[in-house]
Amino acid sequence: MRTKSAALLGLALLAPPAMAADFAFDPAELEGNQLAWGGYAEFKGEHSDLNQQGALRNLQLYREPRSTLDRVAAALQLDGRLTHGIAALKWVAKATAAQDDLAWYDNADLYEGFLSLKPNPNLVVDLGKKVFKWGKGYAWNPVAFIDRPKDPNDPEEALEGFIGAGFDAIRSLSGSPLQTVALTLVALPVWQGVNEEFGARGQVNLAAKLYFLLYDTDIDLIAYTGNSRSTRYGLDFSRNLTSSLELHGEVAHTPRQATQLLDGNSLLTTEVVADTSWLVGLRHLTESELTTIVEFYHNDDGYSEAEQNRFFALVDAGMAQYESTGATTLLGRAANVSQLYSRPQTGRNYLYARLSQKDPFDILYFSPGLTAIVNLDDQSWSVAPEMVYTGFTNWEARLRFNVVGGDSNSEYGEKLNRNKLELRLRYFF
Amino acid sequence: MKLRTLLFLLLLLALAAPAWALDGQELLTKVDRNLQPESYEMHRKIINIEPNGSKKEYLLYSVKKGQDKVVALFLAPASDKGRATLRLGDNMWLYIPNVGKPLRITSLQSVVGGVFNNADILRLDYSAEYNVAAMQDKGETVLLDLKAKSGSVAYDRLKMTVDRKALVPTVLECYAVSGMLIKTLYFKELKDFGDGVKRPSVVETDSPLYKGYKSVMLYAKIKKRELADEVFTLNYLPRVESLR
Repeated sequence: MRTKSAALLGLALLAPPAMAADFAFDPAELEGNQLAWGGYAEFKGEHSDLNQQGALRNLQLYREPRSTLDRVAAALQLDGRLTHGIAALKWVAKATAAQDDLAWYDNADLYEGFLSLKPNPNLVVDLGKKVFKWGKGYAWNPVAFIDRPKDPNDPEEALEGFIGAGFDAIRSLSGSPLQTVALTLVALPVWQGVNEEFGARGQVNLAAKLYFLLYDTDIDLIAYTGNSRSTRYGLDFSRNLTSSLELHGEVAHTPRQATQLLDGNSLLTTEVVADTSWLVGLRHLTESELTTIVEFYHNDDGYSEAEQNRFFALVDAGMAQYESTGATTLLGRAANVSQLYSRPQTGRNYLYARLSQKDPFDILYFSPGLTAIVNLDDQSWSVAPEMVYTGFTNWEARLRFNVVGGDSNSEYGEKLNRNKLELRLRYFF
Repeated sequence: MKLRTLLFLLLLLALAAPAWALDGQELLTKVDRNLQPESYEMHRKIINIEPNGSKKEYLLYSVKKGQDKVVALFLAPASDKGRATLRLGDNMWLYIPNVGKPLRITSLQSVVGGVFNNADILRLDYSAEYNVAAMQDKGETVLLDLKAKSGSVAYDRLKMTVDRKALVPTVLECYAVSGMLIKTLYFKELKDFGDGVKRPSVVETDSPLYKGYKSVMLYAKIKKRELADEVFTLNYLPRVESLR
């Protein structure tokens, strides 16, 4: 009996199993390359039912009112890396083109392009255009002082960086509660033709991030100073509470934040206030792989309901003026400030929830999900169920339906779209 | 004469069945050293096989240092290329190039579709995460009942069947805190990788959570390698590719 079990064991260990024998390594794939590149090509089709009572729809389409908008778009993203010794050149470029019922749009940008010098594992110097992505929040990052704002509906999309010089020093410490310390320093100039979107010209701005891994908790202390934007300070943290639950948070304080808003006479004014925005969030995973992300965000930089209503009232007055006289004075004034009032999350208090189920009903590579954002001040909301399938190697298909709702004079109640159906196909290479 | 015979028999016994001479924790440490050197680099291929026979392959490069530091970088397919995961003890992060920053993740989470999850891909030494709660002699094998040292480990209990001669696992059952069997790993095809590393080169897994699905992990180029501690930090994660 013992001999028989020994023989079976030997067979299990030594005999190449039929399944594994079907697979092998290609020697070429085990070697590193000096030049590596890739990217994706994307096709996107969208159908939107417009919000016919919405302030933003009236403002954008008052000359040719319509109830729907169809759009097709294509994009190409190329990324790569060329390494030689301690130097590596890295880049990400993206080109997009779109045609909707109204016009043709196209754009091409270098999102990142920088030289990275790594004389040793403790020290890295980066020179060029780079994305920093500071902060621990999933949907929002109040401490991302030197990044462009991300879209909470698509927070994992690539963003365009800023041109600057960065320096990273890393130190690992063994056998102590403080496991890692890292200092990141960034110099970010704003000159004519360089980082002009960042703020006031003719300045060199400085940002610093001090990272600690302390008692199994990620902690960042962040500071920004410079004359392109006002000085600000931040802190973020992230920690796994159990093998399935993560807690994170951010707080950002700007002692003198210049905020632009409409006054009671619908004129743009600037107020300087002390601003403290913060976020706290949880990420939970069940045994059946349902991931839930919940975040509460207090955006001190946002508008109160009364301040937001002034903009909606200006658009309403502008529409009334246009319909009765054909004049566009007030609509023009509203258009001038619409960037401020139509940016994502103009309010002060938000709840974000995202649920995604991996491989339900034994369907591998299939992930249905649902994203919800609620403006807690005016109770308006956005809900986006979606399905993602990645079963064909290097292909990703995503079908998403986004519907928004809320009373008139609420953030989502006045959006351009009432709903949007979107199909996105990506091929990675 | 009797004493000499007894000594000879004891010596024979020790040589014939080295595992008998070890207690559970020592045996587990031996198993760890046979599976992987303390500090190394290696390549792995993960193949997910669906019930209809269709397959998807992932290629990973990983480095490990000491008891608690592991990094894995996805080299293929193109849709996952550049993703990197870092583990420092109970802490795990995932770096996705488009997202541009490391996100803290949990050990139960799977960064690829299929039966393997982060804890399997970024596995530390078993003896670093588990205590031997019980050991049973099963003839040619030893059954180790392992209990997680902390609640932050992906599997609360493991039942490891160890080949007494090769001192490597043959079967590993992974259980959740609830007692639910999450998956079973089968270690196969013993191979000499050089540098004194002789271990199963294939690990197959199935799970009651994924009925009909199987995943296979193949190992290649396991080599001892010494690396700086700073390689295993968040700031280094976007640059792991430079180690190859």
